[in-house]
Amino acid sequence: MKEVSTGDLLHAFPKIKITKLYRRRQSFILLVLLQGFSMHVFAQQTIKGLVKDESGNALPGVTVTVKGQPIITKTDLDGTYSIKVPALKSVLVFTSVGFGEREVVVNDWNPVQVALKGKASALNDVVVVGYGKNTRELLTTSISKLDTKVLENIPYANATSALQGSIAGLRVQTGSGQPGDAPRVILRGGTSINNPNGATPLYIIDGITRANMNDIAADDIESLQVLKDAAATSIYGSRGSDGVIIITTKTGKAGKTVISYSYDLTLSKKGHTMEYADTKDYIEQARLSVVAIAKKNPAAISKLQDKTGYGTGNDLSNSTPYTTQYLTAANQHKLNEGWESMPDPVDPTKTIIYKSTNFADLLYRTAISNNHYLSVSGGTEKATFNIGAGYLTSEGVAISTDYKRLTLNMNGSLKVSNNVEVTGRILYASTNNAAAASLANTFYRGTSLPGSTKYAFEDGTIAPGQNSSIGNPDYFLKGPYAQQGANSYDNISISLASHVNILPGLTFDPQVSMYKARSDRYDFIPTSMRNGVGTLVTSRIATSSYAKTTQYEASGVLNYKKTFARVHNLSVKAGGSYFKRQNYGFNATGQGASTDLIPTLNASATATLVNGSVSDLVIEGLFSGIDYNYDGRYILSVTTRYDGSSNLGEEHKLGFFPGVSVGWNMHKEKFWSVVPGFISNFKLRASYGVNGKTSGLGDFQAQGDYSVSTSGVANAYAGNAAIISNIIPNPNLKWEQSQTKDIGFDLGLFNRRINFMFDYYDRVTKDLLTSVSLPASTGFSTVLTNLGSLGNKGVEIDLSAALLSPSSALQWTVGFNYGTVKSKILKLPFNGVANNRIGGVLVYDPSVKDYRYLGGLQEGGKVGDYYAYKQIGIYATDEEAAKGPKDMVIGLTDKTKYGGDAAFLDVDNNGIIDDRDRIYLGNPNPTWNGGFSNTLEYKNLFFIIRTDFTGGHTIYNYPAVFADGQLQGDALPTKEYLAKAWKKQGDITDAPRYLWQNQQQNFRPQSSYYQKGDFLCIREVTLGYSLPAKLLERFKIKGIRLNLTGNNLYYFTAYKGNVPEDAETVMDNGHYPIPRNFIFGAKISF
Amino acid sequence: MKRLYKFFFLLFLVPVSCSKHLDVEPTSAITNNSFWKTENDATGALYGMYFKLLKESNTGNFYYLGEARSEIMTSSIGGTNGYERYYQQSLSPTTPGPNWIGLYSIINAANLILKHVPDINFVNPANKNAILAQAYTMRAYIYFVLVRTWGDVPLRLEPIEEYDPVTVQFGKSSAQDVFKQIKNDLAEAIKSFPDNNIPSGRYIWSLPGANALKADVYLWTGKQQGGGNADFTIALSALNAVQTADVQLLPKFSDIFEYTNKGNKEVIMVIKSLLIESGDNFYANMYLQTTNIPSNVTQGTKDTIGVGGGQNIWSPTAAVRAQFTSDDQRKFGTFYEIQRTTNPSYYATLAMKGRGTISGGLRFFVNDVVIYRYADILLMKAEAKNALSQDPTAEMNLVRQRAYGTNFPAHQFVNGSQAANDDAILKERLLELMLEGKRWWDEVRFNKAFELVPALNVRPGDKNFLLFPIGSDVLSLEPKVTQNTGW
Repeated sequence: MKEVSTGDLLHAFPKIKITKLYRRRQSFILLVLLQGFSMHVFAQQTIKGLVKDESGNALPGVTVTVKGQPIITKTDLDGTYSIKVPALKSVLVFTSVGFGEREVVVNDWNPVQVALKGKASALNDVVVVGYGKNTRELLTTSISKLDTKVLENIPYANATSALQGSIAGLRVQTGSGQPGDAPRVILRGGTSINNPNGATPLYIIDGITRANMNDIAADDIESLQVLKDAAATSIYGSRGSDGVIIITTKTGKAGKTVISYSYDLTLSKKGHTMEYADTKDYIEQARLSVVAIAKKNPAAISKLQDKTGYGTGNDLSNSTPYTTQYLTAANQHKLNEGWESMPDPVDPTKTIIYKSTNFADLLYRTAISNNHYLSVSGGTEKATFNIGAGYLTSEGVAISTDYKRLTLNMNGSLKVSNNVEVTGRILYASTNNAAAASLANTFYRGTSLPGSTKYAFEDGTIAPGQNSSIGNPDYFLKGPYAQQGANSYDNISISLASHVNILPGLTFDPQVSMYKARSDRYDFIPTSMRNGVGTLVTSRIATSSYAKTTQYEASGVLNYKKTFARVHNLSVKAGGSYFKRQNYGFNATGQGASTDLIPTLNASATATLVNGSVSDLVIEGLFSGIDYNYDGRYILSVTTRYDGSSNLGEEHKLGFFPGVSVGWNMHKEKFWSVVPGFISNFKLRASYGVNGKTSGLGDFQAQGDYSVSTSGVANAYAGNAAIISNIIPNPNLKWEQSQTKDIGFDLGLFNRRINFMFDYYDRVTKDLLTSVSLPASTGFSTVLTNLGSLGNKGVEIDLSAALLSPSSALQWTVGFNYGTVKSKILKLPFNGVANNRIGGVLVYDPSVKDYRYLGGLQEGGKVGDYYAYKQIGIYATDEEAAKGPKDMVIGLTDKTKYGGDAAFLDVDNNGIIDDRDRIYLGNPNPTWNGGFSNTLEYKNLFFIIRTDFTGGHTIYNYPAVFADGQLQGDALPTKEYLAKAWKKQGDITDAPRYLWQNQQQNFRPQSSYYQKGDFLCIREVTLGYSLPAKLLERFKIKGIRLNLTGNNLYYFTAYKGNVPEDAETVMDNGHYPIPRNFIFGAKISF
Repeated sequence: MKRLYKFFFLLFLVPVSCSKHLDVEPTSAITNNSFWKTENDATGALYGMYFKLLKESNTGNFYYLGEARSEIMTSSIGGTNGYERYYQQSLSPTTPGPNWIGLYSIINAANLILKHVPDINFVNPANKNAILAQAYTMRAYIYFVLVRTWGDVPLRLEPIEEYDPVTVQFGKSSAQDVFKQIKNDLAEAIKSFPDNNIPSGRYIWSLPGANALKADVYLWTGKQQGGGNADFTIALSALNAVQTADVQLLPKFSDIFEYTNKGNKEVIMVIKSLLIESGDNFYANMYLQTTNIPSNVTQGTKDTIGVGGGQNIWSPTAAVRAQFTSDDQRKFGTFYEIQRTTNPSYYATLAMKGRGTISGGLRFFVNDVVIYRYADILLMKAEAKNALSQDPTAEMNLVRQRAYGTNFPAHQFVNGSQAANDDAILKERLLELMLEGKRWWDEVRFNKAFELVPALNVRPGDKNFLLFPIGSDVLSLEPKVTQNTGW
């Protein structure tokens, strides 16, 4: 690969055009420079200044006029203005909706700074848009801004979590309680048919493109906005279709240097987890279940004497993994050592003894986390700086899991001259973590280890449980037999930016940046009984890996702003951007070390895997935008972008992405006076835009792939390197294109104490970059292609209200947001099948009284629908079961069903249960979500309660099926199930009998384990107190703020598994439970 | 100022010229444009084809298709894993046998070689011919598997190198046409192999391998496609040709399969597995997990089992085990019965042909999977001779001599009627080749499936059971493919 040279960067811009202009117009550039440095010539008549609100926030959009003169201007987004004043003693008039008017007499030519009475309202809020800023009042696109209050009280190990329930239309699902893990973020349902969970937004952090916002300290975040509709994101063109999240980090402000330090102490306990049956109940029911299956399979009766959790083939030696055994003279002393006894339910004349251990309890702990953050910031009118340093250590509630993070945010700005400001930024993060190697093994297999398993052998050494996949957590997760290793991850972004005032109203903003993220890790599996008691596995597998992403970006934006005839406000921008990314990776695995002393590769005798790769991507684009408004009343905004991407098909590398939006501030019309007074403002807005996406597309996928390795392992046959045709080339691959229509309104009531935003969107994504299933006889399962189209529609509501009068000492603000999404597959490529269906299941469809293929991908359908059997009851008796339909799903020749077996719905009513009797049982993708928050402030006290909710998704609770169906053959069922399971003839219940290894297929994928995931979570409850300023003055302390916070306190949900938030695509396959956090936080500033 | 607007206007409209920056060359990937240029590419692709064969074999698909539906296997202590649909004959379109995608993936690899390798310059043209010959043999072998399994199947002879939603769909060709293609491919292959050597290791196709396959094919078409004596004669001469190669019977039966004795002279074509490289093969489901080794067995039994590994999902039935006499060295070479010291004593049976090797305290199932070996050649020859009313005694006795050693005189073969000989040959194939993935096809070829397989015994009318149903998962993606009659 080549390094980026200046020449390369310049190529990204249309320099030819500039050159031509330069030649024709004497010296345009020179003129620009001269203008820049000779501004003071005109300054004698110009007054500059700053307008703020009472609390010191800069006020944009304030009208400034010279009394009695046709001179008018408005304050900028940073609250500054400049106005030509004809003479001293002129009067400046400052007006803004919602604020008191102010007049100031100009006595000298010094800057005039004023404060207007009233508080900045939502309308004056400055919103960061693509390559610029705007006020809420003039915004015509759908952009949500995060209320940064949600960042204040919880020391997020991953700040992405703060978005949960905070932004209408943004689905944020926490699927894991592992500290540092990112929740899933999907905007407006995403734009993918194949991988609905992979449609992640584009993140722009201080102008630098990133794949996520992991490892950013919440304390470093100044503002976060989510660009939702295509008109807002089309300026990001090819990567904007799943939404754009723009984050700016904190910078210094002119004024006194502020030093502040904050500390949070968090105690975490596991949240909801599945509870498993007691040892005694397990032994009893499992033994009876063996007798039950012996009815069909007489040989199975011998299982009673196997060395299993319920079998009596165990002894006190080190060669059996369980304690369960018959009481004998030789072992009866164990009853004095905490062992328990019970009569054998199969032969009550015999006594079984066992030692009970709760292995699930061994997995969890009370975890402690610490978060420190120190910031120093300040500056003068000429230069500002900010340094923020954070250190977080976060323990997971599961043993041996944690996350540590060191962050540094350093930036400074210098006004080189009146017209040139230079900014440099460094954002750095270094993390390492320890996470569960396998979610399934740790969070539902290991926890279902029978309680009768030996925790330790007779000699006191720790025992492994069944094996590493369903093992003793203390054996496999900590101590000498646990997998060892370490990892580190760090990323740094360095950027240089400049802001140049070329002419009045004309500015230029260039930025160059480099982003590097690298990670390394090593792992080692020491000698251990990974395959169960008996054999020590000595292969001592060691792995090492290194990965690096390097990214260079350059962009430049020209901006011109001008007001004509006092009412025509025009702003034009144009620019270009260049993006180059290289991924580099290396990893190796070895084994056969002679010792456990060295956990790294150098001890390995044999290399079993080596792998390395380099891959590049280039994206470049040109963009432009025009914003026009007539007196703030009628607003028009147009943006366009051309993008080119190196990973697309030869003839399809370029794409054009336009966006247009309009708005009408009706409250500025004269007729508004007839509207009842309590309606303070009303804006109608509408937008349309197109944007694209290539995510999921490999860098060279379009050209096909002959691969030399599979999942990182070299392809080889008998020691000969093997090359296989792996990906079919598709030179026709092009941009996936989303078209979004959005209409909405912003409404303010009661002098804007209540602000209401509404959006309706309709997004159609065409030419989806999607893997289409191929006929099996091609030898390929899929090919990536531009396939069909997907429609998402929905509404979003965002409400904020100050319920009490501004004069009240008690302040109560309420925030509510809600978003829905309805997805539909609109079109698929023609393949000769009804609805151009791909995949699906053949089932009986009562609506057409015939067999049809449902599910899969088909026009008019949804992505991901579940089809499974409907359990309609449990046969109370053998006689009742005999009358039921014949069940073909039972794998044995003898299909007889008995009392306690599940009765399934015979959809086609043909007297036979087979897989055509499956019905629709839901969909894994949520369709609605939102949040509700309350903040109460009284003097120095504040109280916050924040909830969020998500619904419409169904989760296949496989961990419960695994346990209750005894799929593994020797694992604990859940406590709730075993209590209500059918046990004897005549029992009326809704839970089938307990049987070894699902012999009667009662636990086939069936309705009782497809559970609704709808939930409401009490996400945050905070009680806080700021010490009175007067008290602190004596100690030269600016402020002290204390808070007590509860986080993830409770989920209201019907889902019985560990985490109700994440259905994944097929099933719950193990989730780290979400911890309940109790936080004490303190912040002190000087 | 007006000029300034013009400038912006131009920026607004100027399209990005097709920049050279967007032409990024791959570093770590091979694209279709860069491949199929050199002899090395051809060799890499050739081993790619075998790599796919190995992957397909490891899944057990060849075993499921070739033997799982016979009377050999039944459920064991490790659950059933869905295998009951084979030995209980409960296959259906919704619970079908293996998907054919893996088989067609091998065919596609062969098709790519056959299309591109002729255009590549080789220093030694013999190497090129050897590669083409192997691709022809492989394609013939896989289509032979397909046609015996499903009858009429899509006959794809061109590689998939682009995607078109309409032309990518293929209908079925008749079994007759598929056999015609198989025979043509074998003729091409036999013509192209440069010599009669079996390359060291014996894990790639060679002329003797192609001839063995040819005999197998012609025996099948002779019996199942009405080819009669003409086909048996061709089969017999192909087998005679195999005998001119460097092959022999190993004196010790179990040596054929030992991990340490790979590439021995009895084998003609194997799918080679290597520790670390290859991963476990399907024999893993015929052994025994450590945790399932019973505590109440003798030390001798424990020693025989050794390190546990895999799962005992299925094992040979009592009826089949009973057909081995204790003086037959093939008995212990094929399976081992675990007896407990308590009542009931029988626990499970382990497959000894595929028990792999131990490394680092773990058992790895990396035995080579035999496609053809010399004993099979001898028994096919006995079969061809008997079909042509010739005396098969010589071949039968060669096989039995090795099996019974000093006890051979008690087990001598005596020529009988054609039908009795066929029965003896089929039984000999069971004793010799059990667990090698051949039994179901043998029974179908001899027209004995309904007689010998207990689960078919009870449903004599269901002739559709001679083929596999095509899975509804396959049908749902292949609208032009129709289900086999009766399913």
